[in-house]
Amino acid sequence: MNRHISVRSTAFAVATAISTAFAVPAFAQDVPAGYPADYADLIAKAKKEGTVSIYTSTDAAQSQKLQDGFTKKYGIKIAYNDLGTNGAYNQVISEAAAGQTTADLVWSSAMDLQMTLVQDGYASEYASPEAANLPAWANYKNTLFATTVEPIGVIYNTKALPEDKLPKTYADMITFLKENKSTLQGKVATFDPEKSGSGFLHHSNDARNRKDFWDLAKAMGDDGAKIYSSSGGMKETVVSGENVIAINIIGSYALAWVKESPNLGVHFATDYTPAFSRLALITKDAPHANAAKLFVDFMLSAEGQSLLAEGGLPSVREDVTAGLNVKTLNERVGGGLKPIAVDEGVLEYMDQMKRVQFLNDWKAALGR
Amino acid sequence: MFTHAQAPDAVELSKAAAEKKYPAGMPRHGNASAYRIIVIGLLAIAVLAPVGLIIYQSFLTAAFFSPRAKFGLDAYRYVFADKNFYKALGTTAIFSFGMVLIAVPLGGLLAFLITRTDIKAKRLLEILVLVPMFISSIVLAFGYTVSVGPTGFVSLFVRDIIGIVPWNIYSLPGMILIAGLSHVPHVYLYVSSAMRNLPSDLEEAARTAGASVWQVSRDVTLPMVLPALIFAAALNVLLGFETFGIPLVLGDPNGIMVLTTYIYKLTTLFGTPTYQLMAVVAVVLVLITLPLVWMQRRLLRNARKYAAMGGKGARVSTLKLGKSGQIIALSIIGLWLFVSVVLPIGGITVRAFVDAWGEGVNLWDQLTFSNFSRMLEVPSLYNGIVNTVILSVLGGAAAVAIYLAVGLAGHRNWGMSNTVLDYIVLLPRALPGLVVGLAFFWVFLFVPFLTPLRPTLISLFVAYLVVGLSYGLRLLQGTLIQVAPELEESARTTGATIGRTWKDVVIPIVRPGLAGAWALIMIIFLREYATGVYLMGAGTEVIGSLMVSLLQTGAMNTIAALALISIVMTGAGLALALRLGAKIHD
Repeated sequence: MNRHISVRSTAFAVATAISTAFAVPAFAQDVPAGYPADYADLIAKAKKEGTVSIYTSTDAAQSQKLQDGFTKKYGIKIAYNDLGTNGAYNQVISEAAAGQTTADLVWSSAMDLQMTLVQDGYASEYASPEAANLPAWANYKNTLFATTVEPIGVIYNTKALPEDKLPKTYADMITFLKENKSTLQGKVATFDPEKSGSGFLHHSNDARNRKDFWDLAKAMGDDGAKIYSSSGGMKETVVSGENVIAINIIGSYALAWVKESPNLGVHFATDYTPAFSRLALITKDAPHANAAKLFVDFMLSAEGQSLLAEGGLPSVREDVTAGLNVKTLNERVGGGLKPIAVDEGVLEYMDQMKRVQFLNDWKAALGR
Repeated sequence: MFTHAQAPDAVELSKAAAEKKYPAGMPRHGNASAYRIIVIGLLAIAVLAPVGLIIYQSFLTAAFFSPRAKFGLDAYRYVFADKNFYKALGTTAIFSFGMVLIAVPLGGLLAFLITRTDIKAKRLLEILVLVPMFISSIVLAFGYTVSVGPTGFVSLFVRDIIGIVPWNIYSLPGMILIAGLSHVPHVYLYVSSAMRNLPSDLEEAARTAGASVWQVSRDVTLPMVLPALIFAAALNVLLGFETFGIPLVLGDPNGIMVLTTYIYKLTTLFGTPTYQLMAVVAVVLVLITLPLVWMQRRLLRNARKYAAMGGKGARVSTLKLGKSGQIIALSIIGLWLFVSVVLPIGGITVRAFVDAWGEGVNLWDQLTFSNFSRMLEVPSLYNGIVNTVILSVLGGAAAVAIYLAVGLAGHRNWGMSNTVLDYIVLLPRALPGLVVGLAFFWVFLFVPFLTPLRPTLISLFVAYLVVGLSYGLRLLQGTLIQVAPELEESARTTGATIGRTWKDVVIPIVRPGLAGAWALIMIIFLREYATGVYLMGAGTEVIGSLMVSLLQTGAMNTIAALALISIVMTGAGLALALRLGAKIHD
């Protein structure tokens, strides 16, 4: 740990020394190409604020490179709070009510909760100079930005199921679950939409987009599918072979898991692979508003996106070559990538009546 | 983790003595009532603020800070109309009573074997028997899935021999069995303390008259410790109602829900958290718990009267087991230890050093140290380890000082305030740690002069202090009560004030006990996980709560490594406790 820091700070010192030697004005050097001329001003203010507080649902390990890159570039400290999707939402609305806003930035995979924060007035608008480099669906009125594209797919135990037996399309999956009822009985896992916000988002997004979602749910029910409240629980059971397959799992995690767990495989349907995004917003009364803006820009820049992609979170930008980007990811999953657009559509099931109806239909399909 | 019990020994015995020695005409300066009122008052604020907030929240229609919140019974109406609530309530009741059926007979048996017989390796067994108590239930549950889960290494080994895995830990009976076995130490603590104080002359008389060991145990010992057994049973029912880790990890996959996991579900069920519904369930838990406390207090009073019959000070002699008796007794304890300690800890240890396991996997091929190297690369993990040490070592010491101050306020005082104290101490015990943590998060956010403390470890410390209150106070009361009243009385008769007596007589005498209590509180703080979930932030991460948040993203490798580190730290704490002469068994 100490060695890391000292290496890093030495590198930083050397860089500073070199830039001083060449007598390049520090501000001008920092302003990325194509940014407005007064951006140096924003950087100066942000540096003065000195820190940026992020409330997030992303494991620190996955974003460590991004954090290090930002701090190295601007010398601004990051207070990184991994609170989970509900924790982040809860703390933001509680802090606002108490007039004690501490969060500068909320960066969460709960697209519906993030959109709710925007609709309820907890976010502030910021026209990022990087916004032009994002796909249109990734920017909601300059308040909510998609920072990743993460496919939703299937993990399976390679010792229990050879890759060539896996179904190719969404419809095939339904047939597959029906035809292998005896071998799959009690060995299919999926998210519990009642206990997991991510699970609810994945399932309800499918229900919005696929008429045959309920056939899939029914087929899972017939196989005695088990439901889990976390990705961790599902991954562990598939790694151990207790479950053969887990459906509607976060593919970005899975692509990383298969590298470290030799008996784990990841698979996507070629005709339909939905993808969710981690959305970033700047809070309304952000105490370090400038640092927050700087961080959003960095996160959306080619540099920041590369660092995220290296950490296993595929980039929304096509020009990023590290890791996967929205285009190469589409190739990887077989061409059927369907990112969930960042718009009011994600709020459909925030309506209580619809939500209860959906959950009732789900339980009926699963036979519970 | 413990229900506060009135200080076990001598309470009722010295009540009469106390009344005799401190008549009504006692000088006012000798009366510690001002101190008592201040301490109990401060404690009441610390406890009642979060509890009051939860009760208030339960009568609102939205989050208490929301402009839309109105007074009303809507939340109660919803919960009491929800069939899932009744299902969870029923499951919780079955779970708790089932746990009692396992933990009480087994705990009683172990207590008997270790305190009343000449079993070998007594010192070592006493320590080992308490180990499951010091490991958090979430860590235990993870450990069991790796060793005896459907594809655990023990399960696969058994399947290779007999063709099937004859158990399923993801079922209600499986959960009950595991929870029951891991709560044996709680029963052991109470029952062994009762057995230690039993005069052995009755047993000896029965033995002389020709009764067998079995007959003596059944007809003499058992009736005398029955009140302690019933007391321990009530305690276990209580603990059963607030268990979270075991149902979360083992019940979840098959949709088995108890009240605490039902509360957890209410954070996502409606999209945004429904605090008013969570609060209602928390209030229901308190309402179920309070009668149990009342019952415990009554039982304890009767227990004291009963045990006092034989008089104190009789020499305790032990029953001779004989050679085959030794073998049988040691086998019973060994088997229990294997299931309750070796299996879960073994599971966690294996998981921490591999990146894959289960069906068709050769564990030796998967050995890795990478799960641990991550601890040094990611600041939040590293912080979590450091903070956990700070919170348990320094926080534990501070907590002992505070519990001592409270303990002294109730010391040799049998009035109304003591009853008040008993219930105050127990209130937070009745609430799930998750809810207490959330309430404290709000207290530190909305109470103006407390807000600067919210992002510091102090907010976590205060929440831990309140969660550990019942156990900590019980430990210190147990120590304080061992000070012979004569010593205090002689100080008082020579004119010392109560304050002076405490400073110069009581505290010096209990000092060794304080060191032991410190180490035990340290372990309790070390294993806590639910309380910190809402309170920890950047720089204030703690191991237990990190494990809960990591579960969301599936970092099981990291969780296992953290769990093992936490077990090693607990082991160090326990070793320290023993060095400091902690009397774990009263």
